[in-house]
Amino acid sequence: MVNWVIYKPDVKMLQNSLKSAARLFKYQNACVIPQRLQQTQAAETTPKPEPEDIAVIEERILKNRDYFQVHNLFTVRDLFNARVHYGHKEGSLDARMRPYIYGSRLGHLIFDLDVTASHLRDALNIAAHIAFRDGIILFFNRNALNAHLVEKKAMEAGEFSHTRFWRGGIFTNANVQFGAVTRLPDLCIFLNTQNNILTQHVAVRDAAKMAIPTIGIVDTNCNPNLITYPVPGNDDSPAAVELYCNLFKAAILRGKEKRRELLGETVESNSANTEAKSQQLNQTE
Amino acid sequence: MAQSRLEKIGTIFTRVNGLIKAGAMRFEDRPIWYDLYTAYPPKLEPRYDRPAPDIKIKNIFYAEDVIRAKYHKSERHETLNLLDARRKTQSQNFIQIYENLKEQNPLDEEKIFDTAVEMLAEQTRKSPEAKDESTISLSSNFADSLNKEDRNKPNVNIKKIFEE
Repeated sequence: MVNWVIYKPDVKMLQNSLKSAARLFKYQNACVIPQRLQQTQAAETTPKPEPEDIAVIEERILKNRDYFQVHNLFTVRDLFNARVHYGHKEGSLDARMRPYIYGSRLGHLIFDLDVTASHLRDALNIAAHIAFRDGIILFFNRNALNAHLVEKKAMEAGEFSHTRFWRGGIFTNANVQFGAVTRLPDLCIFLNTQNNILTQHVAVRDAAKMAIPTIGIVDTNCNPNLITYPVPGNDDSPAAVELYCNLFKAAILRGKEKRRELLGETVESNSANTEAKSQQLNQTE
Repeated sequence: MAQSRLEKIGTIFTRVNGLIKAGAMRFEDRPIWYDLYTAYPPKLEPRYDRPAPDIKIKNIFYAEDVIRAKYHKSERHETLNLLDARRKTQSQNFIQIYENLKEQNPLDEEKIFDTAVEMLAEQTRKSPEAKDESTISLSSNFADSLNKEDRNKPNVNIKKIFEE
């Protein structure tokens, strides 16, 4: 009883904080946040025994190189058709992008699509795993031409997107900005890493500060250093961005589906209470 | 939660790992990406200060670039539909004819070039799509392709627009 009294305000606070965190992301899937709320509440108060522990399942899955079979989501020909190989002109090259470039065709840089494909498969694998572990994924894009597309695809995947001006401190000063303890995303996917042609997106730095892994499409004029899983490729053409969006969406949905399958969960009632979720809880602080 | 915000030092993994080793963060409290990073580390460490490798960018050139340049210098430019990957362009046709001729008669390049230009002109004149050159423009090309796909019919009947 005493325990309960001590815990109760904690739960309330967490609940409030999650609600305000929800305000952070405009384009959210309405059903996802309440579902996560229930989980976190339940994880705090009533841990129930599971038939197979999630930690054991996760360990088993990690031994597989490509558990979600993300390698069959696309082929190099698909990348070529979506114009992923086009870079910018030689003058705007960032020297750190040199290893990913195949060559220069009359002044225009061309990406090596084999390199891109292997990086993209790594990134898709990570996205699927994060989705499997019920992490929050946030899509970024600062290109107005593709903004709606990215928001739509993120919503379809049941995840979040931020395609507008980035107010400083959304990550680094979240608890003050939102007035409560805030859960930050577990993975950031940048569909372009630049604010404009000259400056890098501030969230790339902020995510590194807050120890959030990042996946980023890096064009020839971008800096790939702070991106955890960079994917070299064209980040401007709508065709290419649509391809990336579809691939990440497919990978995320695969991760979520596997989770439901293995834990015997239904979409509406997420009832499993496990270590993994209490781990996520700890991230809020 | 303990954390290090110095993004310019090490990587996100080394910083979190350091916290765990030093006892500032319990191993059970590790972020959900920690195990993934251990199992599938990125190809290059995401360090802020990773130096740029000294790799030379090579130029992409093809053997046929020489005659392609020559062809484009001497001939009029055609209008292209960049979305149409099936049909060959004039210069692609030209290069094919040129290569065929060169295989048969590997002697005078000047002569082969002139014959190839003539053969190409002949080919375009004979082809069913050939028409008066002066009428071809970007807009007519666009309208033609729409007609071919049967998409150019307006679905609004202007005569009946004020009825009902």
